Amino acid sequence: MAGGAAIKTIFVQGPVPGFRLLLVIVISAVLIVADARFDRVTSVRSAIGTGLAPVHWLGNAPYELQDWVAGLFTTRDDLLAENEDLKARLLILERRALKYAALASENNELRRLMNSSEVLDDRVIVGEIVGVSPDPFSHEVIINKGSRDGVTVGQAILDAHGLMGQVQQTSSFTSRVLLVSDSSHAVPVEAVRNGLRAILLGNGDINSLELVHVPDTADIREGDLLVSSGLGGRFPKGYPVAEVARITKEPGEPFVNIEATPKARLNQSSLVLVVFSPDGEPDADGNGPGQEDPPVNIGLEPGTGEVR
Amino acid sequence: MLSVISYPVFALSLILALVFSISLFPMGWFEFRPEWLGLMVFYWTFRAPAQFGILLAWCAGLLLDVLEATPLGVNGLAMAVIAFLVLTIHQRLRMYPMPQQCLMVFLLLGINQMLVHFIKQTLGAEDAGFSYLWPALTSALVWPVVCILLDNLNRKLG
Repeated sequence: MAGGAAIKTIFVQGPVPGFRLLLVIVISAVLIVADARFDRVTSVRSAIGTGLAPVHWLGNAPYELQDWVAGLFTTRDDLLAENEDLKARLLILERRALKYAALASENNELRRLMNSSEVLDDRVIVGEIVGVSPDPFSHEVIINKGSRDGVTVGQAILDAHGLMGQVQQTSSFTSRVLLVSDSSHAVPVEAVRNGLRAILLGNGDINSLELVHVPDTADIREGDLLVSSGLGGRFPKGYPVAEVARITKEPGEPFVNIEATPKARLNQSSLVLVVFSPDGEPDADGNGPGQEDPPVNIGLEPGTGEVR
Repeated sequence: MLSVISYPVFALSLILALVFSISLFPMGWFEFRPEWLGLMVFYWTFRAPAQFGILLAWCAGLLLDVLEATPLGVNGLAMAVIAFLVLTIHQRLRMYPMPQQCLMVFLLLGINQMLVHFIKQTLGAEDAGFSYLWPALTSALVWPVVCILLDNLNRKLG
């Protein structure tokens, strides 16, 4: 073996790695602080995310293939039966929608008589969940609608049963959605039965949420439906979020512990709705005491989710 | 160290590692998913220290940051640290038998995961106990397969 060449390849890096590592550590520290504390690199992240769209696509391809193969082996009878079923449900829902339209116009009429603002209907687009967050400690999903479809950060995401979460990041073709069950997520809600306002926090468990800062004496019962209250301006008003599952009162504690089950099927749904709030003033009745300043993620930039 | 490496294999392995880090793993078992990208960084700095170094590892880590939605730079930094440590020990590493290499993979990827979770917790993530070390363990278990597979591909196509 010719000594020179062999030695050259072995010691090729020389003393440089230490310097390079230092350089990389400094750049990383600057990037991390700029990203986590000052939110300055969103555009870079969005650009890289757009470039990584093929990776998302490849990651989702096996599941699509599986669906396609399953579709090949569905019989005509099954499809016909499903079609009938869907038609029947459509009819039922259409009848309900007819009634709803009349009620909505009547409601607006009444609101106008009382000199408060009209309630506009929300526009939605349908998206599909194409991936879930690889991080086991965060509850996020990726949907196949991005800034190209007009999706912006902060928009609410629903499924057929209730509120799922909000858009956290967008790239051209995909967006990342923070689910209501993530431990950094909070939604301002009110109970349908009596309008009691509170904040619903995620706690990292996909099947349960926490209703916080409800006084011991408040009128709340198991089975109460909690809908988004629209306070804070981030989530549209009136979508079901959760149902109170368990109330535990600890003597001596000022607040009760309330557990709620999310209405949305956070780990099952594959089709979701992205809500575009109509332009208009925020709800007139949004000035209750103490509840407008939820801890995280909401109310920071009111109005950012609005697209016409 | 290999005498030749195949660049297509190199690119393909990185892309596949990124795909595997977001997909193709049973739901509910995410804590046990091997750190595929970390393994690739380990393999390529180990086998081709002249071509694959700290800066490339850092770039690969940034891509993982975007996929995982961690603050930009967290995984980049951790991957660069793996590359640096492999560069410092790769002459000894080449002499090690496979079980000892697996141990080194566990140690280095453990350091990687520890760094990532330390930074995340500093920025306010939840404390997850020691369960963040699972990926390091599973990576160490799949290391022999990955290493032999990529060695063979490199020899055939390089």
